[in-house]
Amino acid sequence: MTRPVARVEDLRVAVGDRVLVDGVSLTVHAGRCTALVGPSGSGKSTTALALLGEYPAGARVDGTVVVEGRAAYIPQNPAAALNPARRSGALLNDIARLAGGTRAERAARVRDALRAARLPDPDRVARRFPHQLSGGQQQRVVLAQALLAGAPVLIADEPTTGQDPLTTRRVVEELRAVLDRGIGVLLLSHDADVVGELADQVVILRGGGVARSGPVQRVPPVAGAPGDAASPPDLPPSPPATRGRPGPTGTRPELLRVEGLTAHHGPRRGRTPVLRDVSLSLGAGECLAVVGRSGSGKTTLARCLAGLHRNATGRVLVDGELLPRSVRDRGRGHLAAVQYVFQDARASFDEYRPVLEQVARSAVRLRRVSPAGARAEAVEVLAGMGVDEATAARVPDGLSGGELQRAALARALMARPRVLVCDEITSALDPVARDGVGDLLARLANDPDRAVSLVLVTHDLRLAVGLADRVLVLDGGEVVESGPTRVVLTAPDHPVTRRLLEALPGPVVPVPDPAG
Amino acid sequence: MSDRRAWVRRRLLLGVLQIAGLLLLVFALTEALPGDAAVAFAGDQPDPERIERVRELMGLDRPAGERFAEWVGGLLRGDPGVSLVTGRPVTEYLAAGFGPTLLLAGVTLVILVPLAVGLGVLAARREGGPVDRLISTVTLGLYAVPEFALGVLLTVVFALWLGWLPPTAIGYGTDPLVTPLVLVLPVMVLLARPVCSISRLVRAGMIEAMASGHVAQARRYGVSAVRVRWTHALPHAAAPAAQQVARTADWLLGGVIVVETLFVVPGLGTVLMDAVAARDIPVIQGLAVLFGTVTVLLNLGADLVAHRFAPRLEVAA
Repeated sequence: MTRPVARVEDLRVAVGDRVLVDGVSLTVHAGRCTALVGPSGSGKSTTALALLGEYPAGARVDGTVVVEGRAAYIPQNPAAALNPARRSGALLNDIARLAGGTRAERAARVRDALRAARLPDPDRVARRFPHQLSGGQQQRVVLAQALLAGAPVLIADEPTTGQDPLTTRRVVEELRAVLDRGIGVLLLSHDADVVGELADQVVILRGGGVARSGPVQRVPPVAGAPGDAASPPDLPPSPPATRGRPGPTGTRPELLRVEGLTAHHGPRRGRTPVLRDVSLSLGAGECLAVVGRSGSGKTTLARCLAGLHRNATGRVLVDGELLPRSVRDRGRGHLAAVQYVFQDARASFDEYRPVLEQVARSAVRLRRVSPAGARAEAVEVLAGMGVDEATAARVPDGLSGGELQRAALARALMARPRVLVCDEITSALDPVARDGVGDLLARLANDPDRAVSLVLVTHDLRLAVGLADRVLVLDGGEVVESGPTRVVLTAPDHPVTRRLLEALPGPVVPVPDPAG
Repeated sequence: MSDRRAWVRRRLLLGVLQIAGLLLLVFALTEALPGDAAVAFAGDQPDPERIERVRELMGLDRPAGERFAEWVGGLLRGDPGVSLVTGRPVTEYLAAGFGPTLLLAGVTLVILVPLAVGLGVLAARREGGPVDRLISTVTLGLYAVPEFALGVLLTVVFALWLGWLPPTAIGYGTDPLVTPLVLVLPVMVLLARPVCSISRLVRAGMIEAMASGHVAQARRYGVSAVRVRWTHALPHAAAPAAQQVARTADWLLGGVIVVETLFVVPGLGTVLMDAVAARDIPVIQGLAVLFGTVTVLLNLGADLVAHRFAPRLEVAA
């Protein structure tokens, strides 16, 4: 084992009566990766920030934290570490200034760091404002800061969460390159595959304490182990194999039809469209997974269905009825027919009103149910999803990410939609919460009584395999492949589909034929 | 960055349209005033025949469209017409009033910006502490006092009781550059309210910026506190403050009538008062066009600054 570059021993952080972490110990060695695994709220971030010498306001801290030099940090959202009012290179220049040297020497060091962070055109990137860079470029600029400062330890906070498989691969390779430079990495993640690939040591946190720790060979990095305090609500297990589907795909009456949908961002002149001539059809009660890389137009397609993207041409029909392009022109019936669940559940709730009230509201607004009746119905629907009344009566801040996402689903269902559009609704959740929401979706997809059709926008191919009847693969705004899930994912035609499948670390289990 | 250039072009075009709309509005409003210039000009006991004659003489009997085209044409050549009262060109009035007003506004702004930014940054740095509370209390207190009351108060204290400063500009010659002391009291009155609003905006922006992830990131790498404060956090607060500075400059260049009257400064506010009293329509129109154009230009500048420091905000256009 190489020399240790950062060490935490018996760390205890408490704010008032609340103990955030207790008895956490870990070591990061030069050129090695230590993974800190655990569900949200298990104390990962508190431990990581302790290495940076940052604690919550009013915290009492016991234990030892030793870092050889200064630790560097890549937050989950790299844009948060970049000043929107300054060019991307601003902080890099300041870091270079600390080490001294002439202006030319400093500029050369900045360029080297950006190149080392795999930004081949450093001057262009440094001159741009953060919002003009892609998410990947932003992450690499923040990485360049760490390389330039010569940090011995890099803390990477959920670097792959919410990323598609190809981006995840790229991030893993970048982190491996960082390790090869002899920098120790503390990886905060709940992605077991990424942890398995990079980490030498795994520390599993639960409820602020260390549940297990040791070499990765002996400690499988699974965060959502049984007995977890935040275990999913008791839902009937619905593995794909036990699903009974009424009739084979294609014989059900058509519910949703999209014809020649082309969408743009910004002015149309001279721009390539985000979506080009997309057509699809979806039967009643069917589940369609829309997959593709980031930027392939998945979300824009979903937003067009819901009338949230107005800069588009083409037709969207539900039950043979043409929907107005903009949500503003849609009547109550149209609004109720197509409901949308957003990736960021927290942002989709008003932070000052109780969640229960907001869930009930969609029945009042869209179905003209009396407020009292809607409230009773909301309590029932939420309870069915594992969110009890006392929890739902709080404002969104009092609910976990998983609970909020379930409430968001409940809110959409309260409108009794014909089509439910789910945009990456599991990707920002930790594995425990993700499984909970995934089970809910499965139950929804399998309920023979509810004639709701699902459009599932996802890059989580495993979710698609478990739920969808059909898969539509988008790339560069065009449909490159579509068909029954089994066919597309076991015998992919298009290179993009193949690459998406290859990027998955484990084998994809094909859906067994429900008929067989 | 063609995005940025396209935005600037759109914003400039909008500015031109705003000025065109302004001209139309100024003309329409003066046209709609009851009793035209001829009535005012014809004296206290006008007989209709005389009014008719004056009207003919001044060309007021011609259609409004024609007169508007002529007026706008004159403006484009830099000639807004002549005063009805004295027959001197309107530009002479504007030039005479603009000097003192510009001087007052300039001196005020030069003191205002560093003072307000400094106070805002200082208050943000000591958020919740005694310094912050002192700054907030004093600036808010000053903000609550109207200009005329503050002007009278300061004149009584500093000019009459203590005798340190001259009470008005009159009697000290007309050139304040020779006797700069006459500027002290009016500038203090003009500073009182803007210092409060701008320093509070800077304070709020700084507090937000200092708590942000990117400032934390700069601190982690050991960038000095001074550099973090002034070069990383302050640009964040620049966008809202720039808008408020533009609004203040606009207010100052409009000739703050209360202050000009109180300290007898022959600025644009005084010119406007006199012109309104005499129903000197061309002078009023000229002033309105000048004030409006200054407003449009200052806001254009503020939007450009805001666009630079908060590029994600869609500022106008």
